[in-house]
Amino acid sequence: MGSVTENFGNANFQSESPLHASAQEFLLDAFLQGWANPSKGSFASKKAAIMLDQAKEQIASHLGVRVEQIHPVSNIQSGYALGVQGLMGLDSTLFYSAVDRSEIYALAKENRSERIPVSLAGLADYPQGEPNDVLSWQWVNGETGVLAGNPGNFQGKTFVDATAVSTLRQLPENWSTALWDSITWQGPASLAIFALKDSSIWSNPFPHTSPGLEELSFSVPLTVASAIALEAHQSDYTAAENLMRSKNEGIRKFLATEIGDVDIAGNLDSTLPHLLSFSILYADAKIVQDELEAAGFAVDSGSACSSANMEPSHVLAAMGLLTHGNVRMTIRLEHTDQIIDSFLSHLKRIVDVLRR
Amino acid sequence: MGLLCPIPIIRLAQALRENDQVLLLSDDPATFSDLQAWARMTENTYKQLSGSEFLVTKGVDN
Repeated sequence: MGSVTENFGNANFQSESPLHASAQEFLLDAFLQGWANPSKGSFASKKAAIMLDQAKEQIASHLGVRVEQIHPVSNIQSGYALGVQGLMGLDSTLFYSAVDRSEIYALAKENRSERIPVSLAGLADYPQGEPNDVLSWQWVNGETGVLAGNPGNFQGKTFVDATAVSTLRQLPENWSTALWDSITWQGPASLAIFALKDSSIWSNPFPHTSPGLEELSFSVPLTVASAIALEAHQSDYTAAENLMRSKNEGIRKFLATEIGDVDIAGNLDSTLPHLLSFSILYADAKIVQDELEAAGFAVDSGSACSSANMEPSHVLAAMGLLTHGNVRMTIRLEHTDQIIDSFLSHLKRIVDVLRR
Repeated sequence: MGLLCPIPIIRLAQALRENDQVLLLSDDPATFSDLQAWARMTENTYKQLSGSEFLVTKGVDN
């Protein structure tokens, strides 16, 4: 008989995960069948074009947009530039929240911009703005899982950062551009989905010869694999959402009562249930991470002592949360109660030793 | 000075056990945001005197 501290294999709570099993099965076939340039006229090209059209149809319907609105992009930074810079005019101000991603911070530096502070719960008060202004609206924060409030009052153009959104959710009515990241739904990395609602209020920020988005480069096989992963992931997620919520609630309760002095990001009722970020007072995140790793558990951290540039996560700092001792978890279907119990008892042991 | 998170906050908490007021000197970029959260969690008060100097007082101001 094992004790609760027995290991139950290696559990990965990091934000990245292997390609969804259902997409793995089709990946090689997608490369063998969809290798050609879909815009040429050969038989192989026509086959690739059909595969791409089907994948785009599937992706669009799972993201709740029209197929002609979406464009696969091979890198996420380009997606941010398309989404934000493409909406900026000469007299536009870019409004963005303090918990936005570093890509948005980089774009804010290049433009006239105003940063919106957030509350301890991670929520921002969006301004009304002028019709030419642009709002970067982060739907879900990828570090904390906090769901943003509706940007409905904003009168300008709205870029929706959906890079931490993997489930079918209705875009806010006033969206102008949006960006998703394929890895969020266990799809392949290096693939983002950019959506543009109305091309008359947008211009391509990259050097281009044709005004549309035909020149964007991306991989047809990876787009096909991503479509398969998205469909499978959404059905998994819908089935497991309540289960993940109860696991998240259980972990939060354990942290508060069994470990104590833990700063947990956001309230469960306003966060996605598979994401959890917490900071343990007086604990060195790097040691916690290494000790957990030795016990078979991989976690992420936003603490300075575990980051390369020695700066803490700007998200934790902006929310006024403890920046040391931070642990970030992504809860998945395969994390059984047994795995989570074992993880928590190891965590408690590690923290007890560190606090002595 | 020269110490990185979470050491400045640990030393601060130790010093505050025996003193009502502690002057914290820290050049760790994480200290400012950390101190804010620590004060909220442990119900203590601080005042920033300069970029790297903080006066920390036991308990909450009335």
